[in-house]
Amino acid sequence: MSVAAAPPALATGPPRSLWSDARRRLARNRAAVAAAWFLALVVLACCAAPWLPGLADPAAQDLRLGASPPAAAHPFGTDELGRDLLARVLVGGRISLLVGLVGTLVSLLVGVTWGAVAGYRGGRLDEWMMRTVDVLYALPTIFLVILLLVFFSRSLLMLFVALGLVQWLTMARIVRGQVLSLKRQTFVEAARALGATGSSVVFRHIVPNTLGPVIVYATLTVPAVVLQEAFLSFLGLGIQPPDASWGTLIADGARVMALFPWLVVFPGLALSLTLLAFNFLGDGLRDALDPQDRQQAR
Amino acid sequence: MLSCGMRRSPTWIALAFALVSSGCTLGGGAPGTPPRGPRYFGSLRPPRGDVLRFINGGEPETIDPALVSGQPDGRLARALFEGLTTPDPRTLEPRPGQAARWETSADGLSWTFHLRAGLAWSDGAPLTARDFVWSWLRVLRPATAARNAGLLAAIAGAEDFNRGVTSDPARVGLDAPDDTTLVVRLARPVPYLLHLTSCPTLLPVPRRAVERWGAAWTLPGHIVSNGAFALDRWRQNDRFELVPNPRYRDRARVRLARVVAYSVDDLNTAANLYKAGRVDWNTSGYVPASFVPWLRGDADFRSAPFQAVYFYSLNVTRRPLDDVRVRRALNLAVDREAIARDLLKGTRAPWGRLTPQGYPGYPPPPPLGHDPARARALLAEAGYPGGRGFPRISILFSTSEDHRRIAEAVQAMWTRTLGIPVELRNMEWGSTLQATTALDYDVARRSWIGDYLDPGTFLDIMRGGDGNNRTGWSDPRYDRLLAEAAAERDPARRLALLGAAESLLLADGPVVPIYHYSTVELLKPWVRGVWSNALDLHPLEDVWIDHSWRPGARLAAERGPGPVAGRVAPPPGRRAVRAPWLRMPAAAPAPAPAPVTAFAPGEDRP
Amino acid sequence: MTRFVLRRLLLFVPTLWVIATLTFFLLRLAPGGPFNAERDIPATARAALARQYGLDRPLAEQYLTFLAHAARLDFGPSYKFPARQVRTILLEGFRVSAELGGWALLVALLAGIPLGVIAALRQNTAADAAVMGVALAGVSIPNFVLGPLLVLAFSLGLYWLPPALWEGPSSRVLPVLTLAAAYVAYVARLTRAGMLEVLRQDFIRTARAKGLPERAVVLRHALRLGLLPVVSYLGPAAAAIIMGSLVVEQVFAVPGLGRYLVNGAFNRDYTLVMGVVLFYAAFLMAFNLIVDLAYAWLDPRVELD
Repeated sequence: MSVAAAPPALATGPPRSLWSDARRRLARNRAAVAAAWFLALVVLACCAAPWLPGLADPAAQDLRLGASPPAAAHPFGTDELGRDLLARVLVGGRISLLVGLVGTLVSLLVGVTWGAVAGYRGGRLDEWMMRTVDVLYALPTIFLVILLLVFFSRSLLMLFVALGLVQWLTMARIVRGQVLSLKRQTFVEAARALGATGSSVVFRHIVPNTLGPVIVYATLTVPAVVLQEAFLSFLGLGIQPPDASWGTLIADGARVMALFPWLVVFPGLALSLTLLAFNFLGDGLRDALDPQDRQQAR
Repeated sequence: MLSCGMRRSPTWIALAFALVSSGCTLGGGAPGTPPRGPRYFGSLRPPRGDVLRFINGGEPETIDPALVSGQPDGRLARALFEGLTTPDPRTLEPRPGQAARWETSADGLSWTFHLRAGLAWSDGAPLTARDFVWSWLRVLRPATAARNAGLLAAIAGAEDFNRGVTSDPARVGLDAPDDTTLVVRLARPVPYLLHLTSCPTLLPVPRRAVERWGAAWTLPGHIVSNGAFALDRWRQNDRFELVPNPRYRDRARVRLARVVAYSVDDLNTAANLYKAGRVDWNTSGYVPASFVPWLRGDADFRSAPFQAVYFYSLNVTRRPLDDVRVRRALNLAVDREAIARDLLKGTRAPWGRLTPQGYPGYPPPPPLGHDPARARALLAEAGYPGGRGFPRISILFSTSEDHRRIAEAVQAMWTRTLGIPVELRNMEWGSTLQATTALDYDVARRSWIGDYLDPGTFLDIMRGGDGNNRTGWSDPRYDRLLAEAAAERDPARRLALLGAAESLLLADGPVVPIYHYSTVELLKPWVRGVWSNALDLHPLEDVWIDHSWRPGARLAAERGPGPVAGRVAPPPGRRAVRAPWLRMPAAAPAPAPAPVTAFAPGEDRP
Repeated sequence: MTRFVLRRLLLFVPTLWVIATLTFFLLRLAPGGPFNAERDIPATARAALARQYGLDRPLAEQYLTFLAHAARLDFGPSYKFPARQVRTILLEGFRVSAELGGWALLVALLAGIPLGVIAALRQNTAADAAVMGVALAGVSIPNFVLGPLLVLAFSLGLYWLPPALWEGPSSRVLPVLTLAAAYVAYVARLTRAGMLEVLRQDFIRTARAKGLPERAVVLRHALRLGLLPVVSYLGPAAAAIIMGSLVVEQVFAVPGLGRYLVNGAFNRDYTLVMGVVLFYAAFLMAFNLIVDLAYAWLDPRVELD
C-alpha cells in the first residue's frame, strides 16, 4: 500500500527581511552578544549610579583616610582625598559615555548630511565637497582639537563640537559611497517619478537604505569618541574638574601610580573593557548586516 | 575582592595577579609589620662612577644668566657661571666667589670688589673686572629684555639706562679701574648687595661668545663658562649634561665627573624615575604632594622651609572687591589651619602674611586669621548681609590638582561661611598669566618666591603700578613707606618701615595668604653635599657620590666634602636591595608630629 | 603614472597653505602671548622682544613674512627657546619620533602579519577567535592605559626597564610596545581580511589543484595580494606612528615631535607649533603618495587615475 505522500512542503517560514536576518546572525555571534550584555550592564550601572543602594557618594571626601587600597568598604579603594573610587568610576562613566554618544550623534548628523548631499548631487559640488574632506583628512585633527580647546573655553559643549567635528569625515565618505551606488536604483527613479524633490529623495528614501553601514560605523564611532575624550582629558584639555570622566581618572591615577597603583588600574580596566565590548559589538554588527562580508567556508 | 596577603614572588603569574588585586601588600612579610632599618622609596642601586642624575624640572627657556627667571634655568646658570660671591650651601651667607675680598664706603654707597688673581674662562681667556661691567650693562640694556634688570636698579644711573633715558654706559655707576678691581656706585644703600651678587642676573657672561653667536651663544660648542662646570650636551626636552670645568678657580673642590640634569616636568614621570632608580635626586617640587604623608618616614625624604608664599590675589578694580570690608571678610572667612591640617595633611604651614619666615630682625605684623563671625559682620556692613545680593565671583587657577583642591576648599569656606556664590575657573598657565596681567579675574591663585633673603623682595611686588602687582591695588602710603625704607641706612629702622608697610598691606587686604612653602625633595642616600636651606640653593660643586654607602647604614649627619682621597674602589658584592614594591601601611599614616619650627614638610611648587 | 604624481603634488601646495593659514590665525587669536611669566617683563623689554620677533608689525605683514619664510623652510627661532632654531628642533624631534615610530611599525608588521595569516588559514576555529580577540583587545586598550600598566609591572615593580626617557636600548622597549599594540591589532585584522579575500580566488584553487604545498600557496601566491589592505593602511598608520603618538611621548617623556606639539600649544610658541604642523602635514601627504605608488606596483589591477 502506498501512502500518498504530500509533496514536500516548501520551506516557507515567516518572510525574512534584512533586519531579522541580521538579528539572527548577530545572535549567533556569542562574543557580540556577550559584549552587548556587558555594555548594557555598564550603561545601566553608570546611569543608575546616584541611586544605587550602598554606593558611596563620589564627592564625599575623607581627608583623614586619604588614599587606601581596595578593601571591603571601598571595593576599588579610595583616592588621595578619600573619595570612593568605585563610585567615581561609575559616575565618570556617565560622562564618558554621554560624550561618546553626543559626539557620535553630532558626527552622524554632519557626516550623513554631507555625504548624502555630495553623493546625490554629484558633479562639481560633489568634487568640492569631497576635496574639502580630503584636505581636512590631511590635517592633523588632533592638533586642531587641541588648539580649539586651548583657544576657546573648555566647556562641555565645545568638547562635544570638537570631537564630533573630527569623526564625521569617514562617515561622510561612507555615506557618499553608499548613496552613489544607491541612487541609480529603481526605487529612486520611482520616487522621482512620483514628484519627490531632491532633498526629500535623499533624506526620505536613500538615506534610510544606507543605515546598515551607518549603524556599524556609528557603533564604532562611539568608542572612538570616548577614546578621544579620554585622551584629551588625559592631557588636561577635556573634562574639567570637579567633573570627572574616565580619562581624567586615569590621568590622576597615573600621576600617583608609584604609590597608589589601584587608582590607574581600575579606571583603566573600566575604559578598556567598555571599548572592547563596543568593538566586539561593532564587529558583530558589521558581520551581521553586511552579507558580502560573511566569510565563506572554503 | 580577591584575598590579600600573598607573599611576593617574581613570577609572571604573581605579577599579573598583583596588578589585578593591587590591594595586596607585597613583600617583606604580613601587612603591618614595621620595616627593618631605614626605609627608602624605590630601587637602591647606586650608580657606577661619580655621576649625579637629577630632575631639573621643565625645559629651561634659556640658560643665559641675564635672562633666566625660573628655578630650572637658574640652577643650570649657577652651575655654569660664578659671580662675585657664592652662597654657602648651609647658611646662605655670601662667600667669596670670583671676588676674593671687598670693601664698602662708610655711607654704603660705594663698593669695591677685588677679584682673585688668575681667573679664566673655560676657553682659556682671562676673566677681568671689565667682564663684570660689560655683563651688568648688558642686563641693563633695553634691547636685552632682561626680566630681572630691576635687581640692578640700585646702581647709580641704572634705571635711566634701562629705561632708555640715556644710552651712555659711562653714566652708570660701574667702573673697572684695573683687571681685578670692580667699583660699584649705588644710588641708595643696599645692605643685601652681597646676596644679589650671587644671583644669576649678576653673573658674568663671556663677551666674545655673546657677540659672536648672538642668541645661540648658550649652545654646547659655543658656550664658555667660568663656573664649576661646562656644558657638554644639551638635548631639547630631555637633558643637560655637565662636566667639570678644568679652568675653574677651585677645580679640586668639584668631585663629580658628570652631572645629568633631566628636563622632566611631569610629577608622575619624576616620581617613577626616582623609584626605578634612574635618577638620584628629585629636586624640590617634583614630588607629588599626595605622596608626602607616605614618604615622610623614609630616610631619603627631606623637607625644609622655603622662601615662598602661596596666596590668592583679589582684583580690587572689580565690584564688589573694591570694598575693603569685603576683602577683609573674604580673608577672615578662610580657615587656613583647616586647609593645612586636613587638606594638606599638615605638610604645609598655614600662613597669614605675605612675607615668609626667616628674616632676622624683621618685625612681622600680626598675621591674618580666621574669624567667621567678624567676617559675616563685615560683609553685612558692606551691604551684603548673609551674602544676599553678592555677585558671583570666580577663583582662577592654573591647571594642577593641588591648586584645584585648595580652590575647592576655599570656595566651600566662602560659600558656607558667607553665603556668597563662588565658582571655579581653571585655565592653563599661559592663559592665567594673561588674565591676571590684564586684570581679567576676580580671585586668582598666585605665589611668589624670594630672590634674596630680604622681605623687600616680597613687598616690592605690591607697589602701586608694579608689573608683578596684578591686583590693581595701590596705596600712596604704602609706596611712601617702601621708598623711605629704600633710602634708610639703618638696617633696624629699615626693617621696621617694611614691617609697617606690610601691616598696611594686610589690613587693606588685596591678598589672601594661604600657606608657606617648604621644599620637598627625594635624595638617594649616596648623594652627599646637599643641605636644605631657605632659598633651595644647592651648589653642585659641593655635591659628591658616596660609594661606600651600604643599605642599612644610618645616614650620618651631613659632613662637608673632605679632601679628594683618590679613587674609592666600589665595594665588593654591591647588589641592589629592593624596597618592597607595593608598600601599604596597614593603617592610614600617623598624623604629622607637631613641627619644631612653625613648619612641616610640604610641597612647594609655585 | 607621472600625471598621477604631478596631480598629487599639485594638491600639496594648496593644502599646506590652508593648514598654514589656519594655524597662523588660530594661534594669533588665542589669548596669551609667548612671553608671559609670573614675573612681569618691563615695558622696554616687552617692546624689544616684540620687535625682535616681528610681533609689532601689522597682522597681514606678519602673515606674508611667515609665508615667505615657510616656503624656504625657515621658521626662525622658537619663541620659547630663543637659542634654538625651529628647524633644528624639528629635525631632532623628528629623529626621535621616527625611531620610535619605525620600531613600532616594525613590531606591528612582524607580529601582526603572521598573526593575521594564521587566523585566515585557521578561519573560524579557536585559533582564529583567539587571534582576533587579542587583536581586538590591542585596539581597545588605549595606549595611555597600557603605558602606565606596563610601567607599573616592568619598571616600578621589577625595576627591569626605565619608566621614561629615551637613552639606551632598554628605554626603547616599553614605549615601542605601547605604541605598537594598537597597530599589531589593525595589521592582524587587515591581513586576515585580505588573505581571506585572496584565498577565495580561483587562482588559489588552481595552485592547490596543481599540487603545490600549502606553504608555497600561501607565501608565494596569496601573500602578495593578501597584504594589499595592509599596504594601503600603511600610509595613515605610518604617518600616525612616526609622527609620534602624543600620549606615548607624554607618558614616557620621550623628546619627540608630539611633545613639542602639545607643549608648544600650551606655551603659545607660535613658530614651533606652525613648524610642527606643516612638517606633519607635508610628511603625511608625501607618505600617502608613496604608499599609493607602492600599492599600484603591488596590485597590477589597480589603475592610478
